[in-house]
Amino acid sequence: MSLLQPDNEIGMILQTLFSFAFIVYLFYAQRIQAMTMLRQIETTLRKIKVLRDEGKTTAIETINEIGKPERDPTPMVERFMEHFMIEPMSMDPAGVVGKLGSILNVREFTFEKEVEVMAPNAEPSERNNIENLLEASLALNIFYKVIRHYYLLGKKTMNIYIIMQIHMILPLILQQIEAYSSALTAFKDGMPIGDGVGAIVAAKLLNGAETREVAKEMVAGEIEYEGRRVIITKARGPGGSVGKPGDAVTNLLNENKGNVTMLITVDAAGKLEGEQVGDIAEGVGAAIGGPGVEKYKIEQAATEHNIPMYAVAIKQGIEHVVAPLVEPLFEATDKAVSSVKGLILDYSKEGDTVVVAGIGNTVGVAQ
Amino acid sequence: MSGETTPIVGGATQSWITLAAMIIVGALALVSLYMGFQAYGNEEIEIAFMYMIIGTSGFIAIGYAFFRPKPTSMDPLKPKKFDVITTLECPQCNLKRVRAFQRGDYIYKNDEPCTRCEGKMIITSIHTRKEEKKK
Repeated sequence: MSLLQPDNEIGMILQTLFSFAFIVYLFYAQRIQAMTMLRQIETTLRKIKVLRDEGKTTAIETINEIGKPERDPTPMVERFMEHFMIEPMSMDPAGVVGKLGSILNVREFTFEKEVEVMAPNAEPSERNNIENLLEASLALNIFYKVIRHYYLLGKKTMNIYIIMQIHMILPLILQQIEAYSSALTAFKDGMPIGDGVGAIVAAKLLNGAETREVAKEMVAGEIEYEGRRVIITKARGPGGSVGKPGDAVTNLLNENKGNVTMLITVDAAGKLEGEQVGDIAEGVGAAIGGPGVEKYKIEQAATEHNIPMYAVAIKQGIEHVVAPLVEPLFEATDKAVSSVKGLILDYSKEGDTVVVAGIGNTVGVAQ
Repeated sequence: MSGETTPIVGGATQSWITLAAMIIVGALALVSLYMGFQAYGNEEIEIAFMYMIIGTSGFIAIGYAFFRPKPTSMDPLKPKKFDVITTLECPQCNLKRVRAFQRGDYIYKNDEPCTRCEGKMIITSIHTRKEEKKK
């Protein structure tokens, strides 16, 4: 029996098939690869659609349950989910932070008003939670629409480079989407989230001390620790809010006419793969995320008064940031409190004033 | 919203086509391997090598089809469920109680009356229950 013998029919068929497959692969390899990638994107898109729809349903159900509106909030929720923000022009960067801050303030004001109309009977803290819930739904909707855009564009053009762009970053996007979907549960019921560790540390340091409002949705209280006057600020809880820590720190430093020995910021920080959830790290600078406006204000105020900035970071994965608080992170807040106290003892002396800012979303955390 | 009406083609509905293709490729690969061994028995080494390459390629293709990402229908589509617990402590008698989280709970809330003394219990922690490691 021989493959090359013409009388061997099966051999001829196999050889023809093999040659045919080789030729097909020679000309259509890229197309086959594009189709495989498209299929994977499609698989993810289906999952995202389910999560996006779940976000919308959860928001509507929560508004109906808590806000008890007189009319159906569905059209308002759908309108909210399409909301967008145009960032300021940065060709001339002078004053761009102020412009961004102004736009963010308008956004915040608009969201507050929208929620007030949607859920007229909700308490202020519940409104904050609904606002956060709607923002999570909005984020899921944007993710869905952007991925769908690249999927359909890739499918239409069959351009492998368009398809590859979205395919390569898909695992990272999926991580963020899953994080936002976890946020739905947290904001729906007002549970503390991973990002709230800074606020929990501040609340633990305050330990029931009397607080007063120092900026929009920001409170501050004073304690005495080893002869030092410690002023602690955090967002006003228990509703979901990050407040305006930049304004709070600026006001506190101005109130004390710059007679502050050190400023410590405590915040959640992204962990690198291999690091443990709840690891604590100490450093210098302003530990605060977000669009950068509040960070700018803190840095500006500290530089103006020549106050050294210290930072305590509580490490967590992207999947923990807006998800209900996990036990290792709650336990880490005790370690962060010790870390803050250690910094105070090491870098200040008796009679000094220290400002501590607990940064993060204070949902489910009072003061 | 337009997204709800936009059809997304493909996915799980194509699985039977893939299965049929895998069966055909598998059968051809088997035949090829059989012929390869037969040629090897007849000491036709070059021909045997060629058949075996074809047969092995077929099985590699089937293996790829098995291990590539599964259709969406097999993926968990619902958002994660969290088992969140609230810990309450009485500042007077230090009684500690753990219960499931309820809407309205927040850290440092003066919650329910203490069952041991006259005091009010305070919520001291809210977090998810630690997942037990799979053995």
